[in-house]
Amino acid sequence: MLSRVADAVFWMARYMERTDNVLRVLRTNYIASQDEIQNFDWQLWIDGLGATAQKSDTKLAYRDALYQLLLNKENDNAVLTNIVRARENARSVQDYVTKEVWQCMNDYYHLIREKHTEYLILHGDPVTAFDNLLRESTLFYGTVDITMNRGEGYTFLSLGKYMERMLRSLDILELKIKELEKQNNELVQWKYLLYSLSGYEFHTKFYRSALSTENVIHQIIMNVQFPHSVLYCLLQVERYFKRLDTISLPEHFKEMEFLLGRAVSNLRYGAPAQPSVKNIMPLIESTRKEIKSLSQKLATLYFGYS
Amino acid sequence: MWLLLFQFIASSKGISIFKEMSFASLLTEYTTRPNIWDEMCAQGEIRKHYQLFFDSLSQVAPAELAHKDELAKKLFMSQGITFTVYSDGEGIEKIFPFDIIPRIITAAEWQHIEAGIKQRIKALNIFLKDIYHDQFIIKDGIMPASLVHSCPNFLREMVDVDVPFNIYTHISGIDLIRDSDGSFYVLEDNLRTPSGVSYMLENRNMTYRVFPGLLPRNNVRSVKDYPDLLLKNLLSISNRQKSNPTVVLLTPGIFNSAYFEHTTLARLMGVELVEGRDLVVDNAKVYMKTTAGLKQVDIIYRRVDDDFVDPLVFNPNSILGVSGLYYAYRMGNVAIVNAPGNGVADDKAIYPFVPDMIKYYLNEEPILKTVPTYAMDNTEHFNHVFDNIGKMVIKKTNESGGYGMLMGSACTEQQVIDYKKEVEKNPRQFIAQPIISLSSVPCFINNKIQPRHVDLRPFALYGPQGIEIVPGGLTRVALREGSLVVNSSQGGGSKDTWILS
Repeated sequence: MLSRVADAVFWMARYMERTDNVLRVLRTNYIASQDEIQNFDWQLWIDGLGATAQKSDTKLAYRDALYQLLLNKENDNAVLTNIVRARENARSVQDYVTKEVWQCMNDYYHLIREKHTEYLILHGDPVTAFDNLLRESTLFYGTVDITMNRGEGYTFLSLGKYMERMLRSLDILELKIKELEKQNNELVQWKYLLYSLSGYEFHTKFYRSALSTENVIHQIIMNVQFPHSVLYCLLQVERYFKRLDTISLPEHFKEMEFLLGRAVSNLRYGAPAQPSVKNIMPLIESTRKEIKSLSQKLATLYFGYS
Repeated sequence: MWLLLFQFIASSKGISIFKEMSFASLLTEYTTRPNIWDEMCAQGEIRKHYQLFFDSLSQVAPAELAHKDELAKKLFMSQGITFTVYSDGEGIEKIFPFDIIPRIITAAEWQHIEAGIKQRIKALNIFLKDIYHDQFIIKDGIMPASLVHSCPNFLREMVDVDVPFNIYTHISGIDLIRDSDGSFYVLEDNLRTPSGVSYMLENRNMTYRVFPGLLPRNNVRSVKDYPDLLLKNLLSISNRQKSNPTVVLLTPGIFNSAYFEHTTLARLMGVELVEGRDLVVDNAKVYMKTTAGLKQVDIIYRRVDDDFVDPLVFNPNSILGVSGLYYAYRMGNVAIVNAPGNGVADDKAIYPFVPDMIKYYLNEEPILKTVPTYAMDNTEHFNHVFDNIGKMVIKKTNESGGYGMLMGSACTEQQVIDYKKEVEKNPRQFIAQPIISLSSVPCFINNKIQPRHVDLRPFALYGPQGIEIVPGGLTRVALREGSLVVNSSQGGGSKDTWILS
């Protein structure tokens, strides 16, 4: 497989995963801001999700915030920008992803650019817009699953997907912790955090107790049954990476394999036994750093970046 | 003679009054122009080969046609069959306009076209071999040496280079037009990197979505073989003793307006789509950079122009190609398709000599007609052309896409004067031809069926086993009323082309 193509597939998957995550978080936040959480602080999320476009001193109205985070082309991290990037990556590897996957991304792109989508976000019911967009996102995952062959392309796609998901989970947890510093409604906040990761129902079933900080953090970092947990994603990365064994240059494979194994151990045995808002921050920091260096290593060894 | 079609539809067809009315209103606008070959009707009658399609069409309500037109546009958009105009980082998607009404060609006509194109490609290919080796055609006085050596696309780097199987023109697109008597003329040869074949394939895919059932009922020949034939030819010219040679398609990248075509062909053939930066030359061999290290490449189907193939030999300012590629090619370590230097054979100033080539190399009479062509460096011709400018079109010999052209029938006096000055500066780079009124076919435009002018570009594939032409081609349409310019860059569109069996 061409290095450039592997790179593009990897990044296509990362942008798509990012899009999906951000949409789910924003959808949950929007609903929370309408109902349970008074005085929702959109600025925090604008800053946290890296919206570069707008800094205002006045309190941000929810429609403006949604516009910034979803549709503003000037914003380097808006959902629209992510979809455009995912699609540009897909475009340059159109012969590698299946026709179905390409069409799916294409529909996604046309949907977010539709006037009606903008109308829903700015004047109508934003939840409908979120649901429409998330349906395209779900279609993407399904289409990838049933049409892509399980060769190298799929491996790099999966590596991108899980690496991005880990980073997202870490970011969202960190943002929530920051939000908690300002507001004193821990349990409500945790509930919405789990909603946005599609993990609330699982939480109640798995932990069989009322929400607690300790359990929520455990679920997001360490629970191997939870598809958004950092450890689950890391194990998936390790699993998919092993498929590259036969096609890799041996020295490249060994180097990556070592780094991955170390990251898994660090997370598994380095996490505090009783996680709390305070003692989890250093772990978030160090894990994020480790994942980023993994991604860079992959770029050097497999995507031909020097 | 102006005719109104609905008059005889009502009389000759046993269709219900309601449909008759609605369809008649659709066709009232179908007024063919005098002295133009209309492919659907002649003297108020529907031609036989259009009859079956025409009957089916008359079952469709006009509103339904508009709906089908809309469906086609949507499908092109959602399938990403678009080209992108980049303005502010994010591109603007455009679709190449598609007309839903297919253009129909009979089996007999196709037989004639096929034989004519095969003959022509054969002669042009021998010409290329000859011109880059012994140049018998010049020595025997058939063609002036000055004409060849003044051609900017004659590559001295190709002289005495032996190409695999002596094939230069692996893929060619021959543009055909029909004069007022219906006979086919060759308008120009495209022997470098002809494009449009993906639209031949996609337009067909669109037809069975828009008109379900019509393709089998009309016995239309399939065009689906094209990618397989091309791949078979590419594989068979590999120089390496290897059971499974590596073929790549070299594209200039996503900013190229034909990028969609490159991805389609790569996908359909199952070959890697590479950019110049994916390839590297080491020890006169070409490799691609893969996740598992370097992998040798045997055959390059390039969609990059000669000038950009190798910055060490050709244009040093371009990074679209690969440094050292040309050296690897000359060493025989990699095959390049089409061969570099083909531009000398599809130069418009060489074009009038093709009939002579056919006689000289093949000892045959040309099957397809050639448009009379005036060389502008001939004073007599020059004067004749400007005396009759109203009937002439002047073209640059090495421009394509309808650029740099002067249509004598549709320009101001000042434009003629300015253009004349240009021609005088470098007469070798211009030729003139009498304006041929292209044939017209029915198109669905603004909710009406109207005649528009078309040309036809069939694609010929030349491999070690001979020349094959997929029964079909790209029909380009001049969408503006009365316009004779079909190029996509000048407001042209395309339609599906049916070859009946």
